[in-house]
Amino acid sequence: MEPDTKTTALRLRDFFREDAISLDLQADTKDEVLRELIGLLRVDDATAGILFKMLKRRENLGSTGIGRGIAVPHCRSVVVDQLRVAYGRHRAGIDFKAVDDRPVHHFFLIVAPPIEISNQYLPVLGKVAQLAREPDVPDRLMALQTPEEFLALLDEKNV
Amino acid sequence: MHPDLELLLELQDLKMQRRELLEESEERRLEEEIFRVSVADAVAELDRKIADMEARLPPAVRGRYERLGRRGRVVAPVIGGVCYGCFVRVPTAVWAADAGRNEALHVCENCGRFLYLTP
Repeated sequence: MEPDTKTTALRLRDFFREDAISLDLQADTKDEVLRELIGLLRVDDATAGILFKMLKRRENLGSTGIGRGIAVPHCRSVVVDQLRVAYGRHRAGIDFKAVDDRPVHHFFLIVAPPIEISNQYLPVLGKVAQLAREPDVPDRLMALQTPEEFLALLDEKNV
Repeated sequence: MHPDLELLLELQDLKMQRRELLEESEERRLEEEIFRVSVADAVAELDRKIADMEARLPPAVRGRYERLGRRGRVVAPVIGGVCYGCFVRVPTAVWAADAGRNEALHVCENCGRFLYLTP
């Protein structure tokens, strides 16, 4: 169900389902990470294929690795009918061509349809960026043991 | 998925991305500030991709694509049997058997848009 953002302030945790959080990504390459993240959304193969291409094309315009071990792959596509998000952690880190050239450990995936009645895509993107700027967040994310702790961190950070 | 529909979906998404980058939009601001995207470089890259993909469309599909493109979206999703391009119900015979698979290239009888049939 789509979170109700008309009557309450937008909260990131309302968009994350526990089964779309992976604390142990297995991928070895940038492409594999994107595919694994899309897998967390549990969409059909055709939808996954289109999302992968769109995310790749977005990465080709400039990496979404924003530094400090965090990346926010994102795109809009008609193949999704509502905003979907996922979080994945890769312990060893992946070369994601991030802005600081450091390996990326934390991936926030955001996909949205071209037109949203509730207009959540940009606010969610902004909230993730806000979270990523918090000095202790990379270490806190690395210390997570369970998806519940991830959601609790979002609550604690008030994003 | 029908290969032409796959191309059309990608083209539509790329054109939307291009439009958002060129407008003074919040999306552009975020791309520049957070992701340090160079708008000029990104638009040039998108233009190359779009031209390459358009050239791969069969002539009949490309003709419709160009006509539709002048007035907005080329592909509309069908959700619950309704074309979300014109909000007119699509005949069940058109969408039910192919919903979620999109193995054929369907067109809305009312607005003429190509249809993406959601599961």
